[in-house]
Amino acid sequence: MSSRCLASLLIFGVAALTLSACDREERHSRSKPVGETVPAGESPDTIWPGGSVPAALDPRAKLYDNNAPAISQGQQLYMQMNCVGCHFHGGGGMGPPLMDDEWRYGGRIDQIAASIAEGRPNGMPAWRDKLTDDQIWKLAAYVRTMSGQPSKDAVGSRAEGMSTTTPATLAPREPAHSSDTAGQ
Amino acid sequence: MIVRPRAAVLALPFLTGACSYQHYQSIYGNAAAETQQFNTLFIIFLAVCAVMYAAVIAFLIAGIGRRRRSTQANVVEDGRHHESDPAMHVGLRAWAAVVGVGLVGLAIASFFADRSMASAAANEKLSIDLTGNQWWWDVQYNSADASKTLRTANELYLPVGVPVRINLHSNDVIHSFWVPSLAGKQDLIPGRDSDITIVPKKSGIYRGQCAEYCGTQHAHMALVVNVVSYADFIKWWDHQLQPAPAPAAPLTQAGYKYVTTGPCSACHTIGGTPAGGTVGPDLTHLASRRSIAAGTMPMGEGNLYGWVEDPQSVKPGNHMPTIGLEPAQLHAVVAYLETLK
Amino acid sequence: MPGVFHGGVMRRVGKACLVAVLCTATVALSGCNRSADKQAPGKVIAGSPPAANHAVLAAAASPADDGNWTMPGKDYGASRFSGLNQINPANVGKLALSFTFSTGTTKGFEAPPLVVNGTMYIVTPFPNILYALDLTKPGAPTKWVFKPKPLAASQGVACCDVVNRGAVYDAGKIFFNTLDGQTIAVDANSGQQVWRTQLGDIQKGETITMAPLVAGGKVLVGNSGGEMGVRGWVAALDEGSGKLAWRAYNTGPDKDVLIGSRFKPFYAMDQGKDLGVKSWPPDAWKIGGGTVWGWLSYDPETKLVYYGVGNPGPWNPDQRPGANKWTTGVFARDISNGEAVWYYQTTPHDLFDHDDINEIILADMPWHGQRRPVMFRPARAGFFYVQDRRTGQVLSAAPFGYVNAYKGVDLKTGMMMPNHDKDPKVGRVVRDICPAAPGLKDWNPSAFSPLTGLVYIPHNNLCMDFGAMEANYISGTPYVGADVKMYAGPGGNRGAFTAWDPVNQRKVWEIPEDLPVWSPALVTAGGIVFYGTMDGWFKAVDARTGKQLWRFKAGSGIIGQPISYKGPDGRQYIAFVAGVGGWSGAVVSGNLDTRDPTAALGFVNAVKDLPMKTTAGGMLYVFTLPR
Repeated sequence: MSSRCLASLLIFGVAALTLSACDREERHSRSKPVGETVPAGESPDTIWPGGSVPAALDPRAKLYDNNAPAISQGQQLYMQMNCVGCHFHGGGGMGPPLMDDEWRYGGRIDQIAASIAEGRPNGMPAWRDKLTDDQIWKLAAYVRTMSGQPSKDAVGSRAEGMSTTTPATLAPREPAHSSDTAGQ
Repeated sequence: MIVRPRAAVLALPFLTGACSYQHYQSIYGNAAAETQQFNTLFIIFLAVCAVMYAAVIAFLIAGIGRRRRSTQANVVEDGRHHESDPAMHVGLRAWAAVVGVGLVGLAIASFFADRSMASAAANEKLSIDLTGNQWWWDVQYNSADASKTLRTANELYLPVGVPVRINLHSNDVIHSFWVPSLAGKQDLIPGRDSDITIVPKKSGIYRGQCAEYCGTQHAHMALVVNVVSYADFIKWWDHQLQPAPAPAAPLTQAGYKYVTTGPCSACHTIGGTPAGGTVGPDLTHLASRRSIAAGTMPMGEGNLYGWVEDPQSVKPGNHMPTIGLEPAQLHAVVAYLETLK
Repeated sequence: MPGVFHGGVMRRVGKACLVAVLCTATVALSGCNRSADKQAPGKVIAGSPPAANHAVLAAAASPADDGNWTMPGKDYGASRFSGLNQINPANVGKLALSFTFSTGTTKGFEAPPLVVNGTMYIVTPFPNILYALDLTKPGAPTKWVFKPKPLAASQGVACCDVVNRGAVYDAGKIFFNTLDGQTIAVDANSGQQVWRTQLGDIQKGETITMAPLVAGGKVLVGNSGGEMGVRGWVAALDEGSGKLAWRAYNTGPDKDVLIGSRFKPFYAMDQGKDLGVKSWPPDAWKIGGGTVWGWLSYDPETKLVYYGVGNPGPWNPDQRPGANKWTTGVFARDISNGEAVWYYQTTPHDLFDHDDINEIILADMPWHGQRRPVMFRPARAGFFYVQDRRTGQVLSAAPFGYVNAYKGVDLKTGMMMPNHDKDPKVGRVVRDICPAAPGLKDWNPSAFSPLTGLVYIPHNNLCMDFGAMEANYISGTPYVGADVKMYAGPGGNRGAFTAWDPVNQRKVWEIPEDLPVWSPALVTAGGIVFYGTMDGWFKAVDARTGKQLWRFKAGSGIIGQPISYKGPDGRQYIAFVAGVGGWSGAVVSGNLDTRDPTAALGFVNAVKDLPMKTTAGGMLYVFTLPR
């Protein structure tokens, strides 16, 4: 192979690698003001009567899902906003587990963001007036790592304090099944 | 020998350490026992080393400039053993002795300086817990009476002449506490307890800086240290223990309502109100501080407006979100914050 | 015979003999154990105390048994002692199921059924349905059902499953609390609501799970929420109208804590003005916990109500320097106006969530030649406190299991002596702290028999790792600041059932249990102790020796109080509801994920195997001897 050919292949390879990493590391620090509604992601088993068509996925999902800084910030917020106090590190307690494959109100990132913003019956508080849109989506991105859904190159690794669950880089990918809202 | 004026001017602060140099953030500040000790030691080292250096240079110049004696030429080709110069022996011994005395002197000076700094640490009268966060300082004054425990942020008040031990913790990454006029650097390492003891000697306002790269806003993580008389210090502490005053005017009441029920209270504490967040700095006496956001901006009404409305453009990447307040909300919130003296 | 084992032939014969003897012996001895159970048998450690040396029930607080069960503790002295003696060690093996009833709930069932003159009353965990069953008819059909319909969101602020510890009957009414903070009085005959009072606010994180105490014309209620940054209190409602008579907080200035001129704490550490403010950083007492979610006892002679106070908040102790009065201690108050008479702080500046809310059994005990009116308290911290109930003086405090978090109680100053090696540190994990956060014994009460003089203690054997971190206060959300992992203590058994001699401060017998024992105990005059295990075994054990006499496998783990009553036909019945849950069983009742050891405040790590051993339920079982 000629040296020019080799050089251009090398350049192409490096560019491809760096460009593919761009989305994963993009940071956002501004979003819609507090109180502006996060669209209510419909729950997984919704019946669409008369053949009506479900809405398209919110474009914000692409910005936060699989985004490493968003997941890392989301992890900080998860501890600071006391999500850990009810859901612990995914196992649940006062609140249902977040690391398994049972989602009462949906396991897609927009559905999780809607649950955080709107609150849910049986005790999930509504954070719409306490957190910005951006913070809620970051939390949703982090919540998804507990069930192994985002890609493994965007998630954080082992815990710094007490070791709790398997690190997110090794967590098995759980499918997002629905579950009875009574949780049994 | 031509005396270079520039060098002479530069030598002056080294030698006197007390001229019209700005000392609020200077390692020559000499405002505390620690820096005084350090600067004295520095001068001793400088003097001894300067003498040695001058002697070495002198010998070097002498050695270069000295003419060779012609009878000394081709000594090696003679192949005969050559007696060494007795003057050289004396000279070498003298030189070794000078070096030895110099080094021992420096060691002794260093030992005494260290010991004096350590003995200050054993006599601490005031204890402060300083926790580094990205990118602000969480300050807690400890007291034997638990109800006098004081929590504030980004500013320290220290009484003159009282040894104070600052216990250093970190909530996230490694930071470093550095108030050059008062003391050297000491790291804040997560999971580890370290401490530094300071005995301030001169009243004044001093600026400190985080000295270990800790993330994107490391440059905006400054600390203001006010050294005041003991009486003023107690007055300050008592004032800081007071809860925030209740808002009187409708505008400040509206601000109070927003701050205590909206997103602000999720992260900030204001004493005497329902706001109890510990994620961000304590705001109970925000308006009495000299800077906003750990030295990012000086305190002032306009800066407060700018900070509250869009912290991400002032200090991009910091953990306070841009909330997007409506103009009416912004006026109310800033009006309320300004009452927090 | 010297010659027997010499020589080849004789040697072989000798060996064969030996082998034969050994084989027969082994077979014979193995047959001995055939009748004993596979479960660990009772381990007798010491002899029972002689009758003259017994403690006895406090007469005014524990009247003679009339065959009813009108309050969870059986009587104001919390004896949980049934005077019925038809069932005894000789016939308990024949105990048979009389009837069952499904409550329709699947959350942790901690409440006892009540029986009053032929009607049985059962209050369920959330949604706190109250059933009345007619015992005079075969199969005990439902007489009426009362549905209080509490707010569903209250489930989101209840730390340890949505339990209810029971209702109380008095003067024709049933009194109980709902999870969302209401106290309700229902007519016992008709099931109609008489009054309903809102006492707690779920927006602040308050719930109510405790069983009220009804005495002196007052209904005493306390709140829950020590993990939610709540301020703890106990309130008294007028029995007839439900109006608030008085409310005493457990933190804050003396006027809120109802501390006045009558207040005389025994020890110097509890004396001083406004200690409920001075022993906290500024404002921390307003969100400092000190709830009253456990048991209250009452002495009708002195008109004093006794109760223990829960943990200070948050769990991270560095955020609340100071002794944190008046949390993790015991108050004695006058029931008519709530004013404090004495207080004792069991763990000042509590480090490990060792709430002090366990049952307080009132008794009269021989002590150094005199008979003294005392209280028995097997506490979370791991010590069995015997205190003079007139003054609060600690007569003895001996550990009833393995404790390394404390060095003991200094009886001169009354202070708990901490083991500073186990102090929690922010940013670090401290390991092997025993007892763990649920304590050596949690809320599930023991029973005291005046006939044997023993206290029957169902308890845990758990240790924990504790990682403290800064807690953020947002009202309505948890305020804890700790990652916890619990596991079995020394010996490997996670629980034990202990018979304790309070006079001589020692164990008499003990039954180690694989799982923590989270069910309350019942002891009868017939000499039987009843308790249940978390995997569903309901056991009858000899009160003197601890020998297991009978057991029954229920459909779900048992954490609810068993009772004994005299049915309309004059026979003795034993009843309990099986429904695993509570803090220990949350992994089953809440369907939690066992892969997270810190879930349910660290309990999931200790009972990862529970979902394989039992499932959720809520079934009433009633047993009696066949005719």
